[in-house]
Amino acid sequence: MPQEKRARGPHGAGRADALIAVALRHFVSVTGLLAVVAYASVYTCQLADAPIRSDGYSYYVYLPSWLLHHDATLQSIADDCCGGTFPEFAGVRRWPETGRWVNVHPIGVAIQMVPFFTAAHLLTRWSNLPPDGFSPYYQYAAGLAGLCAMLAGLAVLRALLSRHFPDRIVLATLVTITWGTNLFHYGVYDATFSHAFSFFLIAALVALTERWWQAATRTTSFWLAIVAALIVLTRHPNAVFLFVVPLYGVTTVRALRRNAAMLVERRWVVTGMVAVCAACLLPQVAIYKAQTGHWFVSTYAQFGAFSFMAPHLWGVLFGVSKGLFFWSPVLLLAVAGAVVSKGWTPQVCAAAMLIFALDTWLIASWSDWQFGGSYGHRGFTDGLALAAILLAGFFEWSEARPRLSALVRVVTALAVVLSIAQMIQYWLRIIPFADTTWAQYRELFLRFR
Amino acid sequence: MTRTRLLVVGAALLAIVGGGGWLHDPPWVAGLTGGMREWTEDPPGTRFRWTNGHATFFVPSDATVVTLPLRAGFPGPDGTPVTVQVSVDDRWLAEVSLPDPAAWVRTEVPMPRRPTSRRFRRIDLRVSRTVGPSILGVQIGELVLR
Repeated sequence: MPQEKRARGPHGAGRADALIAVALRHFVSVTGLLAVVAYASVYTCQLADAPIRSDGYSYYVYLPSWLLHHDATLQSIADDCCGGTFPEFAGVRRWPETGRWVNVHPIGVAIQMVPFFTAAHLLTRWSNLPPDGFSPYYQYAAGLAGLCAMLAGLAVLRALLSRHFPDRIVLATLVTITWGTNLFHYGVYDATFSHAFSFFLIAALVALTERWWQAATRTTSFWLAIVAALIVLTRHPNAVFLFVVPLYGVTTVRALRRNAAMLVERRWVVTGMVAVCAACLLPQVAIYKAQTGHWFVSTYAQFGAFSFMAPHLWGVLFGVSKGLFFWSPVLLLAVAGAVVSKGWTPQVCAAAMLIFALDTWLIASWSDWQFGGSYGHRGFTDGLALAAILLAGFFEWSEARPRLSALVRVVTALAVVLSIAQMIQYWLRIIPFADTTWAQYRELFLRFR
Repeated sequence: MTRTRLLVVGAALLAIVGGGGWLHDPPWVAGLTGGMREWTEDPPGTRFRWTNGHATFFVPSDATVVTLPLRAGFPGPDGTPVTVQVSVDDRWLAEVSLPDPAAWVRTEVPMPRRPTSRRFRRIDLRVSRTVGPSILGVQIGELVLR
């Protein structure tokens, strides 16, 4: 009998490992399939307006203006769509000093959407639909761009995690990050917003940073500079994520000194990277200069203000309306991962803790700290690739503790199921877009009608 | 190349060619409109839709004349007439002036004689001004096709 058990054990484990390997290999394609089905359902069931809406409109509006009207001022779009103005919901306003249109959102998302926009435009011409940048093909191509960005981010994250963790940990982490948080929502429902794009870019930043510290080849240095620039062009406050580059591998003060010495040693490479990054940022700065008369401006100044001395930290992290850990409780395990993890994870812990602290302070200090309508807190979706590393570190640590591991599995599974259920409730407009109260939450808990 | 792979490539090519052919003249554009609100009715029973600054709809390509009932609803800037540019398949066709915001103007727009291989022609309306945060353009009534 014991012999039989021993014989079964490794055979069963081998089969499980093989299954996990297959699931991991196909994770991105299966997620893509589910995302496309969900995307089609959202729009065929009319759960949401056309994809280019709300913030997505202002992120996208550069493309028809540049590529169809050959106009950098955005005036042609205002003329074509709206008799010379922009819809109220659009984050495009006249700058008080110059009277010119200023888009509150930068150009990064539009740049990443170019291939999808081009395909949509060709198809629009082929089908004789209005080539105005907002007819159906443009709408759905813009949404699919965000969906593909999410999938690309997951693919990069899978490759990164697979270099350091066993398959079962990588698979558990990917499933948890995709469905235990609002990532899937921002890759499907609000896919034209910046969050899925930022998720991809930050995953790429971490992966390239790891390579760059191993060997600063020309190719790696070039792409790291491009990705860094795109991160800033997609969402300016995400510049804090660039701390990953100098702080990668910093676990002690000595390691910090070693990194500093290495950066000095690689100063010409770093100078080249800064130059490439600056060149990529130049069009955005030139747009600001042309529109406002200033090279550097806060385009959001018309919409709110920061109060750094009175941040809404509780609301942003734990509050019912939008709290990060209230709506994605599984991310508490990532916080634990920052403390307990061993192996490779500590290489990014210092950077991650600094970045998340700064990011949280920035988000909590903004007057609209809920970030308008959203499922969970969308301000944190961008950094989920970094959180995933901490989460994987926690899963690895807990795996070595069998009793705890069983509990972690159950809690994680419940948190993922709850997050999926609440995302569907949000899509069905059962959960309010913002300002959810505890009384409302209790009343609506797991109600689907 | 194996036989299976050849079959897959062949099927994919066939799907692209077939899909491309279907999308060149898609039947669903008949009911497609853009830049227009839902149908509504004013007190005397006239059905109409508000346009935005730019509205699009399709008409059968065998129509020779389209009667466009248009009403401004609100005056133009400084009381000037509201104008609507009409184009068919991206070619400018007519300009309709709406001097009285309360009056319906029925304009007969002759369709181009140039033959088309498609079953539907696209008509675009571009309004000279919009009103309010809802970006209201002009009111468009039920079309008459001949």
